[in-house]
Amino acid sequence: MRFGVLSERSVRFLLGAGAVTGFFLVWEFLLTFVFTFNPFFITKPSLMWDATGDLILSGELWKDLYISGTPFVFGFAAAVVVGIPLGVVMGWRRRVAFALDPFLTALYASPLVALAPLLIVMFGVGIKGKTILIFLLAVFPFIFNAFAGVRSVDTLLINVVRSLGGKERDLYFKVILPSTLPYIVAGARIAIGRGIVGIIVGEFYAASEGIGHALIWFGDMYQLGHMFVCILVLMIVAVIFTVGLRKAELAIAPWRTQETR
Amino acid sequence: MEPYIRSTDITLTFTPKNRDPVTALKDFRIELNSGEFVSIVGPSGCGKSTFLNVLLGLLKPDMGEMEIGGKKITGPGVERAMVFQEFGLLPWRTVMANVELGPELKGESVASRRPRAQELINLVGLTGFEGHFPHELSGGMKQRVGLARALATDPEVLLMDEPFAALDAQTRDLMQAELLQIWDKHKKTVLFVTHSIEEAAYLSDRVIVMTARPGKTKRIIKINLPRPRGYEMRLSPEFNDIKLDIWNTLKDELNPRE
Repeated sequence: MRFGVLSERSVRFLLGAGAVTGFFLVWEFLLTFVFTFNPFFITKPSLMWDATGDLILSGELWKDLYISGTPFVFGFAAAVVVGIPLGVVMGWRRRVAFALDPFLTALYASPLVALAPLLIVMFGVGIKGKTILIFLLAVFPFIFNAFAGVRSVDTLLINVVRSLGGKERDLYFKVILPSTLPYIVAGARIAIGRGIVGIIVGEFYAASEGIGHALIWFGDMYQLGHMFVCILVLMIVAVIFTVGLRKAELAIAPWRTQETR
Repeated sequence: MEPYIRSTDITLTFTPKNRDPVTALKDFRIELNSGEFVSIVGPSGCGKSTFLNVLLGLLKPDMGEMEIGGKKITGPGVERAMVFQEFGLLPWRTVMANVELGPELKGESVASRRPRAQELINLVGLTGFEGHFPHELSGGMKQRVGLARALATDPEVLLMDEPFAALDAQTRDLMQAELLQIWDKHKKTVLFVTHSIEEAAYLSDRVIVMTARPGKTKRIIKINLPRPRGYEMRLSPEFNDIKLDIWNTLKDELNPRE
């Protein structure tokens, strides 16, 4: 579809960017001219702008992102390495699934952030405790989505590969894994959200650095401009990951996005 | 002459979860000569596809055994390949990679399997589509890939499980004619399962009519029409007589409630 001289893509971008800009303008306008502004309750975009400059120039933002990002990367990588094979094997070997199901269901259903204080006690406030918390939160979407992906593998394709002489190994690598991949990417989207929760909660408890700690600290200091910037940064990080994964999904499984659209 | 494929009486019963067992095949027996084109027609659920899966080596019968070229069938083998009704193409593979699947599973190198796959892609009329993915192809093109893939392992026997049932009528006519040309050139033994009396009569040397479940052979009808068979032949009185004969054999087996 075309809108006048512009392509749908540009119109989409312009409307999206315009709406976000408008949102901040209205926010600023309301707090400057309509309501009385109390900096202890809320902030406004102009103050956030100043805070952004401050955080970037002082280098604090990058440092905090690095501190928080490191356990995130480790925890997430561990979740991928453990979660995917476990889910795939559970999906393909029913007995393994039967045995592990009670544990996994209980752990997935329960609020694992409740374990945070325990993990901090056991592993300290540093990188180790946070990595383990992020791993625990992020691993389940990988397990369950890989599992669901394997359960939904088309038996026809299994028969095709078998009939052409494929062995168990071929079934895994030529049918099960490729057809499970889109499910795994969808799982990664959920895992990222949970992983970010893991960072923040981990750093809420007694950490002395990192973006989650900064968030709490600025809140305690009533530096709401800085605090909002931290929130915004987390949002942006989450959006970048989500969009990136959607693009990855399109690239890996073009047939699937065609089916669902 | 010794038949190339033969079976003793095959019986196979499925036991679905929480349901009564279903006997799909009971004392079904078949003999095929090398290079012969044989079709199986029968009512829905009579076990035609089940039989193909037994012959393919994916299902084991409860009783009876099958022999191919004097050797007992115990599992899938390179001398047999199936063309599936729903194509069964791997959606994440290009046309070329789908056609190469069989040789690849046998451990053939790219250098040895690629030229042959290309030849087969040309044979089924898909030159230029090697890099396309299945979702970019029409139903007819997908089944051409399915056929090329089955031929890629150079099997002696081509098993075809209602391969053209998912295609529109004109594409089906076209594919039938092309299948006959390919069969004529490559001299494969073909066992073709279909619902279409016309298709069976047009393609086959012999048509096996099966009974309702549990399926066994009701009658074998020889099709004594000259080859090569053109489209005009389908309009001849002889052809219509054969269709009527098959229909009369089949009609008592059809369940109006199916």
